[in-house]
Amino acid sequence: MSTKTTEIRPGGRSTSARRHPLLSTFWCKIVMAVTGLIFSAFVLVHMFGNLKVYQGAEHFNAYAAWLRAAFEPVLPHEGLLWVLRLVLLASLTGHVVCAAILWRRARLARGPFRRRHLPLRSFTARTMPVTGLVLLFFVVFHVLDLTTGTSPAASDSFAAATTDSSHAYENLIASFQRPEVGVFYALAMIVLALHVAHGIWTAAHDLGATGRRLRATLVAASGVIALVILIGNISIPILVLLGVLQ
Amino acid sequence: MKLTFKIWRQESTAVHGRFESYDLEGAGAEFTLLEALDKLNDQLVSTGKEPVAFDSDCREGICGSCGVTVDGQPHGPVANTPSCRQHLRSFPDGSTVVLEPFRSGAFPVVKDLAVDRSGLDRIIEGGGYVSLAAGTAADADAHPVSHDTAEAALDFAACIGCGACVAACPNGSANLFTGAKLMHLSLLPTTAVERGSRADGMVEAMDEEFGPCSVFGECVQVCPAGIPLTAIAGLNKEKLRAVLRGRGK
Repeated sequence: MSTKTTEIRPGGRSTSARRHPLLSTFWCKIVMAVTGLIFSAFVLVHMFGNLKVYQGAEHFNAYAAWLRAAFEPVLPHEGLLWVLRLVLLASLTGHVVCAAILWRRARLARGPFRRRHLPLRSFTARTMPVTGLVLLFFVVFHVLDLTTGTSPAASDSFAAATTDSSHAYENLIASFQRPEVGVFYALAMIVLALHVAHGIWTAAHDLGATGRRLRATLVAASGVIALVILIGNISIPILVLLGVLQ
Repeated sequence: MKLTFKIWRQESTAVHGRFESYDLEGAGAEFTLLEALDKLNDQLVSTGKEPVAFDSDCREGICGSCGVTVDGQPHGPVANTPSCRQHLRSFPDGSTVVLEPFRSGAFPVVKDLAVDRSGLDRIIEGGGYVSLAAGTAADADAHPVSHDTAEAALDFAACIGCGACVAACPNGSANLFTGAKLMHLSLLPTTAVERGSRADGMVEAMDEEFGPCSVFGECVQVCPAGIPLTAIAGLNKEKLRAVLRGRGK
């Protein structure tokens, strides 16, 4: 029998480190689940709107103009857009802040010895913080590119919308015709699908989906919704890059 | 067969630990992991060395005492099987097996492979019990419970409290353990009386020492009692119900 000594590593955390935070883990998870489902519903509707690009410039620009004029005169001009923007901005703040809090608590709770070499089945779960950060960057880029038209994110030919006309179609095509931007949009959609697929399934747990049939429905729905968003959206930059959409 | 064990040695909670390697010869493929440790300890004691400390009791997978991390996997290579029911036939002859204690911030190492899992006891103290006097055994039909409900409650009651779910979780979460107890007690009529205060108390105690759940699903891969992921949804359902109905309902 031989005895060999290997390197010294730090010991475990003591049980004295108990936490009484202002915002409990349970409430952080509820905030993340609700805001995450708001985002999922938004990107699904956004994707359906994007598909109008296949009806041509006239339809797409008319849809963009309608979004600004929707529910007039009950809402002021761009009223619907601003309601959506405020809801999404509040959701984004809550989602990111709670994610940061939970990520820190998770690392503290696990202690110095991380789990390593996990199998592929938990890939989407493990990559949630990474896909989340990529999406955060994508959202900022996307708004600068196609909403505000700020360079260098936007294409050189960006034209802002006026009260009764929109150049959304031309802006979109010009943006995606830049190869590196088109590829970035396509990759971001894959990241989005991974994030949404695991996000909806996690939200189902956070909001207490225990029924057998309900869970079977939700696990399928999370995958199908993510896939529909992926296929609907990714087709646009790919077809622009291939020269089909011009 | 011949195996090399790389075992975590740590004298106490206060000091740093380290890996040490031991060669074990003459163990059979039919040995359980803990029997191999027994044989190794016999050798260590006979040569005047300190034996490897590890927890075990029933050795038939029903008590929840044992638990070591084998090659990074809590309990060992065979899924849903406690350490005492893992056998050496899982390892090729001549291979090296790394044994560590259950790893989690909430489980400080007591000695070598033995950890302090009293954090789980504090979750139970938060409300995982029945505080009403039920009196003598009731008539068989006094509390109508359907067969399916009784079976479901028993399935969640199967948790043996070994803590592998916490050790398997990259977040150090105890949601599966807590959810199993909440689901078990919420399904039956007498124990459902304290549902609200139980959910509040247990979730509060859990949040103090354990991490958040990100639905990795690693816990259900190692759970020797086969508790399903539904328990995690059940925990949040019970807590949400308590929030919506007000405390103590």
